[in-house]
Amino acid sequence: MSMQALNRLVARSIVDPTVLQAFGSGHIGQVLGELDFSPEMRLTLSGIEAGSWTEFAVQAYRTVKASEKPAVRIELPSPLEGLMQEQEQKRSDYGQVA
Amino acid sequence: MNPVTREERHWFLHCLAQGLYEYMGAAAPPIPVEGLLQHPPDVYRDDFGVVDMYSTLWDATFARPPNGRGSVFVRIDLTPAERRLALARELLSALITSRHGRAMGLVQLLMADLKDSAEYFARCLAVPEPLLQAFRRREGKQADLAEAFCIPGGAARLRWEDSPA
Repeated sequence: MSMQALNRLVARSIVDPTVLQAFGSGHIGQVLGELDFSPEMRLTLSGIEAGSWTEFAVQAYRTVKASEKPAVRIELPSPLEGLMQEQEQKRSDYGQVA
Repeated sequence: MNPVTREERHWFLHCLAQGLYEYMGAAAPPIPVEGLLQHPPDVYRDDFGVVDMYSTLWDATFARPPNGRGSVFVRIDLTPAERRLALARELLSALITSRHGRAMGLVQLLMADLKDSAEYFARCLAVPEPLLQAFRRREGKQADLAEAFCIPGGAARLRWEDSPA
């Protein structure tokens, strides 16, 4: 959602000078408030320090992208762990027999 | 400016093309790129123009005299598809060198890789993402993209590959 909002903001900036004016006067937060950013993201983006609009846009892109990246972790069981579990099971089975 | 990756630069250019497409309000292809140059958004008023030229050196080139109105000089004998893409490509130079573009910082972001940037931007503008997605939903094939959007075949192929299905 935030990336869509950022896309809209950057798209708007090429035809709407008020975006650039807001950025230049340190009021980009007001423009961000018109878009579908979460309050936390709005705060984070408002705090970006950049020397130009393009620099702001790229930093905002990195910020939003990092926040949207799902924390994918492939957690396959270790083959060793599997064998150990099997051994443990066998041991306990023997134990029961004994 | 800190180093910017190609992917970040392309993302930015894609957004710019999207903004201009929305400004044009084109509901269907082909995209009226020449109309955009002749009737640009207010912020570029008196900034762009198109001049037909006889030339054997290039298809189109943008030039802006110091403190003057810029124009795309385009070869008169191009096919409509070649002309559309060449004008879209040179439009980026017009944007970069405009007052608004300079204020945005487009020079710092895009000048170092201008050729790649201009070609990518031109493809995004001539085949806007919403229209490309609509084309795909209607079972449009890559082979028909060039004709549908009236752009050269090579550019259509790259645009198809650029955009996620």
